[in-house]
Amino acid sequence: MGKRQIGEMQPFEFIVTLIIADLACVPMADVSIPLVYGIVSIGCLFLLHQALSILEQKGKIFKKVISGSPSIVINKEGVNLKELKKNNMSVDDLIESMRTSGYFSLDDLYYAIYESNGQLSAFENDSRTEPPSSLPVLLVSEGKIDNSNCELIKAERSEVENFIKEHSKIQKDVEVMTIDGNGRVYFKKKNTPFEILHFPLKEGVKW
Amino acid sequence: MVKTFISMIVVALMIFSFSIFEQHYVNSSFDEFHQVLCVLYDKVDAQTATQEDVYAVQNNWLEKKQSLHAFIPHNDIKEIDLWLSESATLVRDEKWEDAISKIEVLKELSEQIPKTFTLSFENIF
Repeated sequence: MGKRQIGEMQPFEFIVTLIIADLACVPMADVSIPLVYGIVSIGCLFLLHQALSILEQKGKIFKKVISGSPSIVINKEGVNLKELKKNNMSVDDLIESMRTSGYFSLDDLYYAIYESNGQLSAFENDSRTEPPSSLPVLLVSEGKIDNSNCELIKAERSEVENFIKEHSKIQKDVEVMTIDGNGRVYFKKKNTPFEILHFPLKEGVKW
Repeated sequence: MVKTFISMIVVALMIFSFSIFEQHYVNSSFDEFHQVLCVLYDKVDAQTATQEDVYAVQNNWLEKKQSLHAFIPHNDIKEIDLWLSESATLVRDEKWEDAISKIEVLKELSEQIPKTFTLSFENIF
């Protein structure tokens, strides 16, 4: 594996590491199995890993098959839900990954890329100047309104539904809608670039 | 890259040579043990075997099993130990029919165990 840490490993390297740990454990725990069995199988896995590493370095196709390819989950048009679904992830997961990278709003980034080892790489949006007064919360994800977040921003569900109707004919088409403490809304409809809108928050509402 | 290739070749050679050595060692040990068992079988069949004959087989097995422990599952070794001990008691009591069936099982084990080390479809899957 070289000097890489677990978070930096390729998927197949991570699997090999887990199998090696298991193989080393079995002969130690089960007294009926000779230790040689574990050593030989670890040697075979080492060979397999080295062979895969060489194949990976040889060509792009092998690299794509063995390690996968990066996914651009946010581009200049906004959140790419198709790409997220391809990776079995939701908008919540994306927001969580962004938070760990120090970004709290979806429009903080021009591009967000999930690397093949699972890490999020971000290309910051320099044009954002106004910092949000409260943490942006997810109001709509894949056409579904989050009731608990409606309560958090002290807005009725019907108000949110009306807001959506003003900007989209079909509620299901709204892929993502977040709102921050200034009432600044990140609004992304299916097959259209995201928009920054304003939602009239009640006075004194903070979270 | 060169280092990777060298390490791969070294490990492949080690595994390959070890597998040949293991197969040869296990086969020759069990071949010898099988021959000894055949002699004992003939003696029991002729009802001329004594407990000393079984002890001789047991001693022969004891020498072999010390190094065989590194290669074959310890449960297989334990199984042979148990069948041999039973055979010794049955020969001492001159229960020839029972003894012969135990030695038959031992002969079968000495044939089957080395087969689990050959490169074959059933051993791989």
